[in-house]
Amino acid sequence: MPAETFAPGIQVEIGKIDRELKKLWAEGGGAKTRASLINLAVYSEEPGSLPKNTKIISEITEDHACRAIVIGANPAAKENRVEAWINVHCHVSRAGSKQVCSEQLSFLLEGPSARLLPNIVFSQLDSDLPLVLWWQGEFSDPMDPQLWAWVDRVIYDSQTWRDFRAQMERVETAQAEAKQRIVLCDLNWTRLVQIRLALAQFFDHPSMQTRFDEIESVEIEFAPEFRSTALLLAGWLAAQLHWSDGKQANKSALAFRGRGEREIKVSLSEKAGEPLGRCAVRCGSVEFVVTHAKNADLLEVAAGDRGCRMPAGQNDVVRLMSEELMRGGPHRVYLRAMNCVREFL
Amino acid sequence: MSTTSDKQQANPLREGLSTRTVPQACTVVIFGATGDLTMRKLIPALYNLAADGELPPQVAIVGFARRPKTDDEFRKEQEESTKKFSRQKVRDEIWDGFAQALFYHQSEFHDAAGYKSLAERLEKIDKERGTGGNRLFYLAVAPDQFEAILKNLKDAGLNEPRDGGWTRVIVEKPFGTDLATARELNAVVRKAFSENQTYRIDHFLGKETAQNILVLRFANAIFEPIWNGRYVDHIQITAAETLGVEGRAGYYEGAGALRDMVQNHLLQLLCLVAMEPPTDLGADSIRDEKVKIVRSLRRMSAEEITRNVVRGQYCDGAINGEPVPAYRSEKNVKPDSKTETFVALKVRVDDWRLADVPIYIRVGKRLPKSGTEISVHFKKAPAVLFNRESVSLDQNVLVIRIQPDEGISLRMQAKVPGTSFRIEPVKMDFHYGTSFGKASPEAYERLLLDAMSGDATLFARRDEVEEAWAFVDPIEEAWTAKEKQPGLFMYPAGSWGPEEADELLARDGRAWRRL
Repeated sequence: MPAETFAPGIQVEIGKIDRELKKLWAEGGGAKTRASLINLAVYSEEPGSLPKNTKIISEITEDHACRAIVIGANPAAKENRVEAWINVHCHVSRAGSKQVCSEQLSFLLEGPSARLLPNIVFSQLDSDLPLVLWWQGEFSDPMDPQLWAWVDRVIYDSQTWRDFRAQMERVETAQAEAKQRIVLCDLNWTRLVQIRLALAQFFDHPSMQTRFDEIESVEIEFAPEFRSTALLLAGWLAAQLHWSDGKQANKSALAFRGRGEREIKVSLSEKAGEPLGRCAVRCGSVEFVVTHAKNADLLEVAAGDRGCRMPAGQNDVVRLMSEELMRGGPHRVYLRAMNCVREFL
Repeated sequence: MSTTSDKQQANPLREGLSTRTVPQACTVVIFGATGDLTMRKLIPALYNLAADGELPPQVAIVGFARRPKTDDEFRKEQEESTKKFSRQKVRDEIWDGFAQALFYHQSEFHDAAGYKSLAERLEKIDKERGTGGNRLFYLAVAPDQFEAILKNLKDAGLNEPRDGGWTRVIVEKPFGTDLATARELNAVVRKAFSENQTYRIDHFLGKETAQNILVLRFANAIFEPIWNGRYVDHIQITAAETLGVEGRAGYYEGAGALRDMVQNHLLQLLCLVAMEPPTDLGADSIRDEKVKIVRSLRRMSAEEITRNVVRGQYCDGAINGEPVPAYRSEKNVKPDSKTETFVALKVRVDDWRLADVPIYIRVGKRLPKSGTEISVHFKKAPAVLFNRESVSLDQNVLVIRIQPDEGISLRMQAKVPGTSFRIEPVKMDFHYGTSFGKASPEAYERLLLDAMSGDATLFARRDEVEEAWAFVDPIEEAWTAKEKQPGLFMYPAGSWGPEEADELLARDGRAWRRL
């Protein structure tokens, strides 16, 4: 087997991928085990995405054995070009005796060949395993219903979108046309997991749940370009606590109506640093505060004068993808949260 | 086992974040805080939970032991041992916060004043950390200390839930040494804590694969229809260790393999593999089904014990090419000890599902390989077509490996490529470690969280424990009877036990599975 590299691997003819993969395994001997729990198709139109995604896949496969189908596309190219590579990413298993390997098939599709995407994906799927499509960047219009009909989960990062509402409409239209229940997985939502856990734990004790009706205001600090992340957090609180009538006074001030017509103010402020630097929930005389510790992957959580630290998670794409693949689930809460703030995104 | 789907999720902010019931803030009081279990397992488990963000941040841990020590000394000691035994690297920035939740309380176990001062200290901690009056007492001490501790907890009023909180007690095994002592022990516990406050820990049940047995059986439609005497020929449960008694001779001499492993761990596994589907995933629904199995275990007469139970003890031999001494030559073992280091049993479950299916159990020390597994051996295909010739085909075998290398494999028949029609067994193999990169939490992590969440599914209930002793006691009695005592068979260390264990299966036309 070739040494691990972030080049996409050995170049092969598309029609001979299976044969070349068999050869690759035959050279490996018995010390390597192929493993796969999902088909992970990665699509990007960013120039030079193949080596970058190869590196990402090599790290993701440490925790998530999969068959990766990595596609770099340039539909705008004038010349027609289709190229393919095969690669394996091997990691020593937890038992320590064997190397566990995931296959990566990479494709470069330029010009009209970019339309071959569904065919390329279909022909390379590991049978019986779910198909997770990770779409990097903006969704193109129209989206191919043929491809979407096969997708079980689609992963995207809405933080990178220029027009959230237009993008979401495309996703939802494709979802409806595919007549298949595709789970929508937004890495921008995954980014919120640890801060949501930190906020939720304040209210675990039954006696604390009366505090929900005392929430007066929420302050969220976000880094430049992470306003959508902050809005999703606000949407989550609103959706789960049944706040209604969301209104936006300006870009940094929202208001919702809680039980008993009580107004709840949400202020959003931009500050350089972590995507979400701080979130404070004020309930009467008590303030629940979660702050991302400086230069550390920890959250400082404080209720009044009591405080402690919790894991913060990391805002890098490998960690976000690993977290997303590990958690799974139908993401109903995401849809509710997103719908609560959709008009402000 | 309870999931958020079957329980009302009180905190709406938890929805979608966790598929388990949420542990509640509490103070964990560990009796025997300077002991091995605390240092090697409990504090590292609690630290790992904190590092993973699973432990409620308000949780406080109070170590209770006899030796004088300050909070800081206790923290330092625990830091050193956690660095040694934690499954993940200890991070200073997390440890610093975690250590602030560690406290030490010095007292003799029988000193009432020590519990009075403990009560005061717990109140102070409740106020400072916001643990809501919830208390989890962990008895990481020998059972002979239980009575003093529980009585004093009761006298100090620490057994009673207060301020809308809860009070629970975790009891470490062994739960008695026979039915009578188990009942005594349960009575002692019951004087201070009700059954729903009592969590009897069996760390085997905290293992990922043990929990997966129910998923394999009841989340896959293909197994349940054939999981009965019509299709299953027999079941084997093996727990093999290469280790000897390793400094536990004092305890082991009085226990032996039957009490140490069979009465608890292996009968728990047997229950999981033999039980009927529970009505739901609630703790008592699952434990109700398990206890039916223990009750259905066919009790054996003295003659049946001689025929169906083999006990053995290792003599000199070798493990991994290294010579090892006989059990009787180990430190603190009597030179004429009759303690069994190996047991093989053939048991029957008298219920409709498995009435005709013998279950063979073996457990031993100083065996050639370490491994715990359950294998379900299906009946052979009918003697027609491929099975018609003189060559008899192997059975299909489903293997659930509990440790190490947790996973599931299925043996089936396949044609060997070539022009002739040769059929050979092949194995479909699933390894947790290969398919899932993420390391499973330690059994104690899972079980501590469950106790904090009030989920008793993976803890043994009083009736389970007592019924298990009721099954095991006649065997112990036969072994110590003055007359017609079954033999104790010697086996060389590094072998698969005495020949008599092989004969136990051979006379039924079967053989132990090769691990």
